[in-house]
Amino acid sequence: MITGTGITKTYKQRGDVLGSREVRALRGVDFAVPRGGAVSFIGESGCGKTTLGRIIAGLETHDSGEIVIDGTPMTPLSPRRRRPYFRRIQLIHQDPYSALNPTRTIHQTLRAPLELRARQTGRPGSWIDQRAGELLSLVGIDPGYVLGRYPHQLSGGMRQRVVIARALTVDPEMLVADESVSMIDVSMRLSILALLKDLRERLGVSLLFITHDIATARYIGDAGELYVLYRGQVVERGLTESVIHEPVHPYTQALLSAIPVLHGLERPGRERVVPTEALDERHADEGCLFARRCPFRTERCEKELPVLAGCQDSSHEHACFHPQRRAVIPVEAVA
Amino acid sequence: MTTLSHGPSGSPGSHSSEEGDLVAGPAAPPPPGVRVRDLVVVYKTPLGELPALGGVGLTVDPGTITGIVGESGSGKSTLALSLLNAVQPPGRIASGSVEIDGLGDVVRLDGDPLRRARGRHLGYVFQAAQNSLNPLKTIGKQLLDLGRSHGVADLAALVRDAKDLLGRMGLDGARVLDSHQHELSGGMRQRVGIMLALVLNARLVILDEPTTALDMITQATILRIIREIHKERGLTTLMITHDMGVAAEVTDHLAVMYGGQVVEHGRTTEVLGSPAHPYTQGLIRAIPRLSGDITKASALPGRPPTLGTLPKQGCVFQERCPVRMDVCATVAPPPVTTHGRTVACHATAAAPPLDGRKEQP
Amino acid sequence: MSVTVPQTELQPGLSGTRAALRRNFWRGVARVLRRKPSRMVGVAIVALFLLMAAFGPMLYPAHLPRDNNALYAPPSLAHPFGTDFEGTDVLALVVTGARYVILTGLVTAVITVAAGTLLGLLAGFHRGRWDTALMRLTDLQLTIPGLPLLLVLSTVWKFQGPLAMGLVLGLLGWGGIARAVRSQTLSLRERGFIEAARGLGLSTTHIIGRELLPSMAPYIAMNMLIAVTGAIYAQVGLFFLGVLPFDSNNWGVMLNLAVFGGGALTSAAALPYLLAPLLAILLLTLGIVLVVDAMDEIFNPRLREE
Repeated sequence: MITGTGITKTYKQRGDVLGSREVRALRGVDFAVPRGGAVSFIGESGCGKTTLGRIIAGLETHDSGEIVIDGTPMTPLSPRRRRPYFRRIQLIHQDPYSALNPTRTIHQTLRAPLELRARQTGRPGSWIDQRAGELLSLVGIDPGYVLGRYPHQLSGGMRQRVVIARALTVDPEMLVADESVSMIDVSMRLSILALLKDLRERLGVSLLFITHDIATARYIGDAGELYVLYRGQVVERGLTESVIHEPVHPYTQALLSAIPVLHGLERPGRERVVPTEALDERHADEGCLFARRCPFRTERCEKELPVLAGCQDSSHEHACFHPQRRAVIPVEAVA
Repeated sequence: MTTLSHGPSGSPGSHSSEEGDLVAGPAAPPPPGVRVRDLVVVYKTPLGELPALGGVGLTVDPGTITGIVGESGSGKSTLALSLLNAVQPPGRIASGSVEIDGLGDVVRLDGDPLRRARGRHLGYVFQAAQNSLNPLKTIGKQLLDLGRSHGVADLAALVRDAKDLLGRMGLDGARVLDSHQHELSGGMRQRVGIMLALVLNARLVILDEPTTALDMITQATILRIIREIHKERGLTTLMITHDMGVAAEVTDHLAVMYGGQVVEHGRTTEVLGSPAHPYTQGLIRAIPRLSGDITKASALPGRPPTLGTLPKQGCVFQERCPVRMDVCATVAPPPVTTHGRTVACHATAAAPPLDGRKEQP
Repeated sequence: MSVTVPQTELQPGLSGTRAALRRNFWRGVARVLRRKPSRMVGVAIVALFLLMAAFGPMLYPAHLPRDNNALYAPPSLAHPFGTDFEGTDVLALVVTGARYVILTGLVTAVITVAAGTLLGLLAGFHRGRWDTALMRLTDLQLTIPGLPLLLVLSTVWKFQGPLAMGLVLGLLGWGGIARAVRSQTLSLRERGFIEAARGLGLSTTHIIGRELLPSMAPYIAMNMLIAVTGAIYAQVGLFFLGVLPFDSNNWGVMLNLAVFGGGALTSAAALPYLLAPLLAILLLTLGIVLVVDAMDEIFNPRLREE
């Protein structure tokens, strides 16, 4: 179980002599990923989802708030003491090309963390190569084919599988997949997603799925929770299917409306809102963060910041003063 | 905006110096059609010359907005470049023709006529991610460069047209023209790309991955703009994309490419609603959707071919095909057109399609 | 699993063992060098000079014979590059002088590259305070004007042979490499594979030695070769200027004597004496430049194998 409460992160952008500008990447985010569960973070670029993923994977530090891994709060620990906890959380990078060292064979790439693992657990040296083979088979590739090869000799899909196998070398408790299929050919994406799903079911690894594409989140986390992030704030959260079918926050509705409709297979949703693009939002810090773009805003929205709360209208939480269900997602066309 | 905005006024389109009569007006000519025949493009590799396009045939009706969908290695980008006769070495157009109404066979054009045709007849919109704009010059300067290189006499009118176009796409034209590339967001840059492709009154527009690297909401806006501008200006539009959804949202016709071939081509709603080629079927099944039963989504086995791994003979899709027959290994299926739908598949051609089906090993 | 891969026999250990990798590496190097004839020429030239440095002095007596009857003799079959003011064969002087020149070059290169790479890696990888301190040190080194310092140094300290010479040149030259390696490290450490290695808990030694360093190998090798040429120019220049004692045989000494002693710039007689060491320097530089061209392909497995 991995939880976070009130996570904030502010980046300082280097400005001129008069001072630097601050970018608030995360404005107090709460989350919880149960053991073996699947959770998705959804949002556009700049919403803070990647920063949050990197903080959870221990690759970045947050400013305030607390991350608790299996009951142990991380803040009181020294960076050295934290490391073994964060090792249980492995990040799967977006780009499998840069995630593998081009000068090392797959065998070398897998061997290094396995050697460490063998030392930690007191296993014999012979275990290392055997385990490397097991892991590659587990992610669906033939060890005999890839072990002696360099990353450039593999296809994008195979590379991503190797990256996943490498993450599994340390027996992680959670995989953080940040846009993990966006650079892979369309026809192969689903097989990688299916692999992640399969690993969750077979190994009980929990999955944190970070993406801008709600449809893939629906595929991977159909049983889990979905968090919609906007400008560093969670604006809606709930069970994946529930958020997708009964979105109440206008931003969630805008995101869902933006997904292309497969005309011929589906019809656009009745209340699909053609959303407006992001304006210059840097200084609009007063009131609801989405107010400037929101077609349903009122005076209250421009003055007060809504906080995440439950409502009787739906089974999920949202941060909106005027929540209303809208049918924005496409419906299946009847043949 | 100081230098560009105060030009003498002129009637719309009057900046077109030598081809003034070709410009859209009350009696605008119909949008051009495109006919690609037996187009073969080869790339020189250490393994010899390999075909990126293996005899592509594609007819684009005037006034349509056609999507060309394919994965990496399908040849969609090569096809787009061929329409401009802009295939770069080590590639070359080996044979075939690309007939564009009002231009003739583009493959035969070269030198100055070809350069003039690009921009005036053919507008090309580059990927938003790709830096096709000069980072050192303002957008306005680049617009003037474009005008001068095409011999536009009335540059002030050109600037006015550009502003109108940008305004139509929801931007402050004067401000954008005065900006450098880095001052614009991805969505704004993409609009500038569309403006530059259209400002010389090109009637055939090719969009290369127009929404890659854009946010979902920006993508939706750009797609809407593409659709609207296409209608308003009476264009023939070709959109190259790897994203079936993007193509489905905007286009009325869809051509699916695989391994250097157009394997299926027809009306978008029909191709999506009842795909005939096994590759199209597999690709559509592999898209996670918001509607319907998500558990029915399933991956397409195997992986896309590269130049070197294409089958030497027979159907390009044979290795991943669930309905492969003996004939597929030896004979390339010819494209067959029925009721406006073109499909290149032995299994589809043989009716009923279940006959001769083989189990995949 | 929905992936199809060619079923090959699982060969445990064999495909991945270090010996096999090393064998493949050298086979790849040979392939890269064969790809362009110019590279083979470069390798041949560099090999020739290395042999000269190693065995040249053994081919001739410790004191080269003089011939008072053939002072400044023109090129002939016996003396391909003529003779010098004492009647000594110029070719013999060039060959025996190679050891000093090349040894200095190598020592300098090893020192600059070792110091530069180490400091650059540490600064780039640890960033923060380490970075600031090391880079100030580098700036300090870079602001030291090399030539004037050498001139001053040579008046108080007589360089004891090529090793001392190389040491001094090396300590004056590592700054540029340190800066370059640091910037490379800064960009590489953001790459996914370095981040993954940290996330997996691999040691810093492993990350720097096994992940970062090999990625920078072409860069380092190139800098090393260029440092060799730089060092050769520097020391030949010092000898030419006459600020170092002529206690040994050296191309720079030859140049100095040809110009200032033999008047090679005004009379044709000493011209071969001048041209021979110049030609040697040019040829060696050319050889190194031709080899540098192959470095990128040698250390990049993708370019190596294609």
